[in-house]
Amino acid sequence: MTRKLAFYGKGGIGKSTTQQNTAAAMTHFFGKKVLIHGCDPKADCTRMILSIRMQETVMDTLREFGEEGVSLDTVLKTGYEGIRCVESGGPEPGVGCAGRGVITAINLMEELGAYSPDLDFVIFDVLGDVVCGGFAMPVREGKAEEIYVVVSGEMMALYAANNICRGMIKYVEASGVRIGGIICNSRNVDGEVELVGEFCDTIGTPLIHVIPRDNIVQKAEFNRKTVTEFDDTCNQALEYRKLADKIINNTKFVIPEPMDMGEMEKLVLKYGLMD
Amino acid sequence: MTCPLPERIPIEGFTYRDMKIDKVPATPEFKPRDPSLVPAKNRSVVINPGATCMPLGAMWAIMGLHRAIPFVQGAQGCTTYVRYTFARIFKEPGSIATASFHEDAAVFGGRKNVIHGVRNLVVRYWPDVVGIVTTCSSEIIGDDMNSFLKATKKKLAEEIGEERAAAVEIVLVNTPSFAGSQVEGYNRAARSFVGSLAEKTGDASDKVNIIPGMTYPGDIREIKHILKEMGIEATVLFDISETLDAPLHPPKSLPYYPEGGTTVEEIRGMGDAAATFTIQKEAGSAGAVLLEKKFGVKAFNGPMPVGVANTDMFVTALAGITGREIPKTLIDERGRFVDAMADTLHYTMMCRAAIFGDPDIALAMTRFACELGMTPVAVMTGSPSVTFEEDVEAILEEYRHLFTVEPKIFNKGDIFEFEEYLRGCNRLDLVIGHSKGADIAAECGVPLIRVGFPVYDRFGYQKKAIVGYRGGELLLYEIVNALMSHQYPIDRVQQ
Repeated sequence: MTRKLAFYGKGGIGKSTTQQNTAAAMTHFFGKKVLIHGCDPKADCTRMILSIRMQETVMDTLREFGEEGVSLDTVLKTGYEGIRCVESGGPEPGVGCAGRGVITAINLMEELGAYSPDLDFVIFDVLGDVVCGGFAMPVREGKAEEIYVVVSGEMMALYAANNICRGMIKYVEASGVRIGGIICNSRNVDGEVELVGEFCDTIGTPLIHVIPRDNIVQKAEFNRKTVTEFDDTCNQALEYRKLADKIINNTKFVIPEPMDMGEMEKLVLKYGLMD
Repeated sequence: MTCPLPERIPIEGFTYRDMKIDKVPATPEFKPRDPSLVPAKNRSVVINPGATCMPLGAMWAIMGLHRAIPFVQGAQGCTTYVRYTFARIFKEPGSIATASFHEDAAVFGGRKNVIHGVRNLVVRYWPDVVGIVTTCSSEIIGDDMNSFLKATKKKLAEEIGEERAAAVEIVLVNTPSFAGSQVEGYNRAARSFVGSLAEKTGDASDKVNIIPGMTYPGDIREIKHILKEMGIEATVLFDISETLDAPLHPPKSLPYYPEGGTTVEEIRGMGDAAATFTIQKEAGSAGAVLLEKKFGVKAFNGPMPVGVANTDMFVTALAGITGREIPKTLIDERGRFVDAMADTLHYTMMCRAAIFGDPDIALAMTRFACELGMTPVAVMTGSPSVTFEEDVEAILEEYRHLFTVEPKIFNKGDIFEFEEYLRGCNRLDLVIGHSKGADIAAECGVPLIRVGFPVYDRFGYQKKAIVGYRGGELLLYEIVNALMSHQYPIDRVQQ
């Protein structure tokens, strides 16, 4: 049975980094079969797995060769430890409709059978804010069942996470999607764990893991590698291993109770004034 | 060997009129419909809509220009449906180009489509005007049409030279269909063309501008007749009377364009005119108002000149603004019209009419029905109009003392709601509206008087006039004859 996951979170929070490192840990340490579908028009959700930015995105191929030109041979690439990668791609910033691109790419991949039953995990890596219906495509019925939201102890990241939960509520009943947990990608800000912890308690979602900050992540990234591939014995690789393990064995899927703006402001004040 | 010709082309089936079937529930589970769901405002679905897409109105307008081709920035269906509709109404070919959006255009935007599309259109057809009509998909994905069109013009200039490129006017009409109906599409086209092309040279002319709205070639010809009788020169903006009713001649040159239509030069001159008259307020007043604001050309957005009072108002306003006398010929036409009304009063008086259509035509027909002594039992418009209710109410107020039943007004309704209401009326004599009312009239067992957009199930209606005194007289005869053949035994009409 393939489990379908979606990673959401504020832009720049380290969503794609966390997602790729987790996928790498899932395959390297636990022998899982994983497919990553990048839903960001920038097509940078699989760069560290493939050691190169994906060259043939679904939308580019569609534009150049038409629908007949899109086949798994052209757009599905295999990277580190046999992880399969697809990138939706999309228009340049400021033109066209990137959301429609996500819808088109996911539909095409479904038609072509990319999400095959031999996979253990399909991971959708979705761009920062769920700005329109297209970016909610991965959580529509029959697609991702579990959502992991990447946050940090910065207020804007929590605002975004709260917003994402608000968006997801609409799909909870229709598609059965649930929040698998909040992942804190630590920025080493004061009171980070406490703040994120209280945030998670308030919206009723588990804080599945706190990933400490470690420069080896950036170092590996410069080498276009995940931490696991770069050095699978380092402490950070073990942290991703823990996260992968928790996700693999996760049984707690919840319906979040997002805060309204007033509650959110109170939380900001409480931690913002703490010194 | 020659094939013997049949005496008559065989027609199978039976007419709607013959189809007298008792309607019984098909299954025991049948439940009568919930009456609370009949009013359109209580439903989230529209059943049998009374209006169509906004781009259609803009394309209709552009078809009335000389050597012009509409270019539709959208998927092919947006063009095909409109061409099909025009072919059904006018039985004429309508050249409309499409940007042919596919999946990739929806994602990457329609920049490439419009640049290459307009380029191909220009180098093959050499039109004077390309009217760019946007669609829902293009508007939703946020195509920046102004910058796309700049790039298009640049490409044209590079390929065919500055001079030839400058000879092609490219005018943009934004028509997201979710924001209004075909009436608004026409209105926006009027505003766009006037806004992009009209100029003021300072040499005031005594010409007037006429924006005919979505009226038929016959109506435009009748308007021209009135102007001619009064000795007034006019620019008819979007003159479909020649382009969509062109005589069948072998084309003199290829690519083929019909001879008529408003020229770019004429539109440029609209800024110098003495006044602008819109025949249909909802379809064109945006253009008239813009001319007034920008160049001080006085705007007359009066009611559609159907019937005596409305035509009087139109002719009087024309005379007032140009200082021309109302000629005896027109006064005679009016006299004949009024005479015809007096001669037929006993047929029309106290009849109950149901009226529907676009706002202007519904309003004009309501007044005309009242002038004939009829009671408008229901008046419906499918195209939303802010002022519709108060406009209808103003007419009804003048004639209420003659009514046999209180009229009902439907604004933004659908034809289903209108039909359900008519079924509940205990007497109805005729339905006045477009072809979508054919089955309603048949169900109610009354004649349908075809007016407005669209009339596609009869021939010749696009050539007939209903405006002016002569048009009104012909319309009156159609109404009376329909009532006579429908309600009176043959021996009773042998007078």
